[in-house]
Order: sequence, then structure tokens, then C-alpha cells
Amino acid sequence: MKILAIDTSSMVASAAVMDGQKLLAEYIVNHKRTHSEQLMPIIEKVLESSGTSIRDIDAIAVASGPGSFTGLRIGAATAKGLAHARGIKIVGVPTLDGLAFNLPHCQGIICPIMDARRNQVYTALYKWEAGGFYKLMPHCAIALSELLEELKRREERVVFLGDGVPVHRETIKEELGERAEFAPKNADRQRASSIAELALQALERGEGQDAEAFVPFYLRKSQAEREYDKKTKPEGSL
Amino acid sequence: MRYSFVSKSPEDTLEFGIRLGKNLGPGDVVCLEGELGAGKTVLTIGIAEGLGIKTGVTSPTFTIINEYPGEIPLYHIDLYRLEDGDEFYYMGGEDLMYGQGVSVIEWASRAEGILPEDCLWISIKRLDESEDFRLIELTVTEKRRDLLERVSKSENTGY
Repeated sequence: MKILAIDTSSMVASAAVMDGQKLLAEYIVNHKRTHSEQLMPIIEKVLESSGTSIRDIDAIAVASGPGSFTGLRIGAATAKGLAHARGIKIVGVPTLDGLAFNLPHCQGIICPIMDARRNQVYTALYKWEAGGFYKLMPHCAIALSELLEELKRREERVVFLGDGVPVHRETIKEELGERAEFAPKNADRQRASSIAELALQALERGEGQDAEAFVPFYLRKSQAEREYDKKTKPEGSL
Repeated sequence: MRYSFVSKSPEDTLEFGIRLGKNLGPGDVVCLEGELGAGKTVLTIGIAEGLGIKTGVTSPTFTIINEYPGEIPLYHIDLYRLEDGDEFYYMGGEDLMYGQGVSVIEWASRAEGILPEDCLWISIKRLDESEDFRLIELTVTEKRRDLLERVSKSENTGY
């Protein structure tokens, strides 16, 4: 089983080739958001340098969201095109799962945060327990203040990572003090190899979708929902 | 915070646009309000010129987004034909606004809720004194005080 994984959900563009035994190639670039120009050449590079033909690939793994709208569209369109042409499955891996998986066997709570703008973050909470990887809180788009309140109710240390960190680092430090830690640079952004590993596990469980069926998820409230919230909640509340 | 000035001609409006354009950077969003013929396009031409963009600016009413490449690209956007902010989001509007260029948005109130907190609002109103006179008002949040000061100061230094 050989898979090609891609993640274009943020400023980072990354692709990797992995099989059941090892990570064969990975490419990560975090420079300019030019995914539409860069993604195909990156895919070509990881395939070529690992001596893999697109015909050897058994499934395409893609970061399925949340994230940058345009980035997710580019990832999804590319995955769909490749999977459709080859008649193979797509495995969508939630972006935040992939990010959290950058910190395997980490102690405490893993809290990926992606900048969702206007002081909101895309986030979820994870934990390694007895070798397993658990989600303590599902994906959501919430105000940073709301996330910090939730974390204050817990006692453990929290490791933050993701592109929300440079935006919110000072506030997090102020609110959580010593309990807050930040992932090192080699692990703090999207990596296609994490998506690949989680996709392999998903495939073992029999997951995977046809190219036509796969859709990314944006995890945002519609205008109608936001207006409804505004009407039903008092000013200034979350 | 607000800066108001009276433009006495399209040339004045253009100059204000140039002054503003020279002070804008990546990720800045300018929301333009004003009725038909108020001078929104003239102002946008000025902003483009201030950013150093040479290509001619045309109305984005039918194209919705016109992109002008440059060192700092300009996205000229007209939301008139859209229903709400969702439609703009599903066109990739958020990535544009928070991207590497300057966005000028007409009918921006349709996208309230997805607009950045610190966008600049400009209203252009006709004045009764003369056919050509316009009251131009620039409203910014406290965070953008600097920009407002630079734009209002450069007027006195005889641009």
C-alpha cells in the first residue's frame, strides 16, 4: 500500500509518499501562498525522488479541513483529479488531526490552533494515552478567549502548535502561564507525512472515499447562523 | 477615528486616493461607500496609482473581483451582485483580504462578519454647494491611528 499525501490547508504546501514500511519522500514549503503554482511540481518531486510512478500509488490522502478556503479547494481539486484519473480512493484527514499528530507520544494536552481571523481559531484537543491518540474536544471554530477558558478548567500542561501560535502566543502565555508550551519549529506546521500516516491507519479501518464523493470541510458558520447567534445572544457574550 | 475633507473636483478625489494608496500595505482593506457617480472609481484609480500600479482600473461590478498585479497587488471588489458574506467567502474572499495585496471593496457592508476588524471605511457624499463637491470621510479603528495621521498630514505638505 503506497499513498501520496498532500496538505495545502494553510500557508504551508506539503506532499509526501509513504508506504506501509516507511516515509519515502516529503516536501514542505512555507514561503508564499502560491499553492496553485507549486503543488503539482512538489508532487512531481516527491514521486520522482522516491522512484515512484503515479501508477504505483494506491490512494491519495488529503488534508480535508478546516483551513484556508482557497488552499483547501486546491488540495481537494488536485486530490480529486489524481484519484479520478487513476480510479483510486481519497482519504480525507482532518487538518487538525494531522497537526496534532506531528507531536507523537507527547505528554499533556495537544492543542493545534489555526488562525481563523477576527480572534477566532480552528482548534481541537488531543491526548496520547497508553500509546493511543484521543480527541478530547472535537473540531470547532471558536474565539481564542473561549478556548483559553476551556483550557483553564483543565489542569494539565498544554502544547500549542499551528499558524495561530504567532498570532496569539502572548495572550496564551498571559492566560495560562507556565502551563503553556509551544511546539518547536520542526513540528509546528502542517506536514504531509502526518496526513499520510493517519491516512494509512484510516485505510486499514476500511475508510476512504471515491473521488466524486470527497468534499473538504470549512468549519465555519454561515451568515444566517451568525445573524441568528447575534439575535439570540446578548452583546459581548460568546 | 475620523478624518474628513472636502474634495472640490475629481482631481482632488484622485489625489486623496494617491495619498491613501501610498500609505497602504499588504492585508489592508478599504471599504468604499458612496452612491453612483460619487467618485468611488476615481478614488480607486488614485489608490492604484499610489500603490504604483500602472494598469487602467475598470469597474468590477460585473466581474466582481478585478486583480491588478504589482509589488503590492490591488484587488478591486464590488459585492453589489452578491447576496451576503457567505458568497464572498465561497469565492475565496477571505484569503484575498488577508493576503498579500490591498483590497478595495464596494458594497462592503454585504460582507460584514467576514471583514477584518481593522478595515478602513471611506464614505463619499455629494455636497449641495457644487455639482463637483464631495465630502470624503475616512474612518479607522484606534489601531490605524498612524495611517490616518499620515494621510491627513500629507495633505498639508503640499502633495
